[in-house]
Amino acid sequence: MRNRWIEPVVVMLTMLVFSPAVLAQTAANPGTKKTQAAVHTADLTGVWANITEVGPTFNPKEDPSFQPWAEAKWKANKNTDPGQPSITNGRVDLDPTIASCFPTGMPRLMTEVFPFEIVQLRDRVLILFEKDYAVSHIWTDGRKLPVDPDPTYMGQSVGRWDGDTLVVDTIGLKDITWLDRQGHPHSDALHATWRLRRVNRDRLQIDWTFEDPKAFTKPWTGRTIYRYHPDWTIEEFISCEDRLLHGGESLEQKAVKEHAQ
Amino acid sequence: MVLHKDGFEISRGTQMKNKFLALLLGAAGLLVVSRPALAHHGRSNYDVTSTATVKGVVTEFEWTNPHALIHLDVTGENGNVEKWIAETNSPNTLTRQGWSKNTVKVGDEVTLVGHRVKGGGYYINFSKITWPDGRVLTPAVQN
Repeated sequence: MRNRWIEPVVVMLTMLVFSPAVLAQTAANPGTKKTQAAVHTADLTGVWANITEVGPTFNPKEDPSFQPWAEAKWKANKNTDPGQPSITNGRVDLDPTIASCFPTGMPRLMTEVFPFEIVQLRDRVLILFEKDYAVSHIWTDGRKLPVDPDPTYMGQSVGRWDGDTLVVDTIGLKDITWLDRQGHPHSDALHATWRLRRVNRDRLQIDWTFEDPKAFTKPWTGRTIYRYHPDWTIEEFISCEDRLLHGGESLEQKAVKEHAQ
Repeated sequence: MVLHKDGFEISRGTQMKNKFLALLLGAAGLLVVSRPALAHHGRSNYDVTSTATVKGVVTEFEWTNPHALIHLDVTGENGNVEKWIAETNSPNTLTRQGWSKNTVKVGDEVTLVGHRVKGGGYYINFSKITWPDGRVLTPAVQN
């Protein structure tokens, strides 16, 4: 009889320990009791890395419905080399971060293989990216998105809690960047709405809606999933250092060129 | 130059024990590796249809982004020395796997297994490095 009791109790305790409610309490955000009671949050803190199967895009099943100019750009960016999987990185020679050393920017950083760390502060959520050593500030202090902001690589983001889900709006992005690693283009009118939820201790799930009236004919949706890495710390990754060190060309480019001569 | 296609070959004359250890570590590495060590620019630049093995003496180890680079002198069959460059993961990824700027040292004799750059050239992206004492490392992208 006693043994029959133990198993359900252990299961329930385990569920309780990893439930968002308990995780939220462990977040221990500073602030008044009144504020804590008013704002329901969850604990998203920690180091997360894109799960391999998700691949280099937000939606491997369906491309955005592009305006004609953007469709042409997507066709150019798409990697169609023989032997490539259908969903893969965009063309290296057109990739703004590889071919021209531009910052990766948002939201593409969320499709990269390198991890990021989420830090929750009283007035904002920070995402510390390993790639480019970039930081995204998501303001959760109730402020509104700026009107017609000057474009930047990381954009302007505000967030609010909807139960255990952090709902983020991002605008003000430069159109130099790719939307994702696969090479989907976007315009400076891109508005990303993303819903971050820790579905269990080890999984962070983000549901995305991209509205971009200049580049898309209708909103594009997707989902990305990340794995929790409690033992990792954020290291530093910087693009193009090799070229800066070796006179504008990578040693790979030089080797190929020398061989051809 | 030792350049074998379509196969891993550990340097000749290696002790049986080391061979076994290398195989064991290699097998463990394969289990851990869920994707090739080509995070930065995908697989397009490399001839992934065949596996290349390069053996040489390290002349420099560059701890740089986006790839750590080993410079090595490879003696060809005709006795000429070829200057090879071998790239692997980025320092951030290697750090998490226990590497440091001192993992590969000038003068080390190493055997590298990976994919050679398309269009020829003495350039390889490697995913396995073996030292004569049987030490093997398999740098991989881990998520």
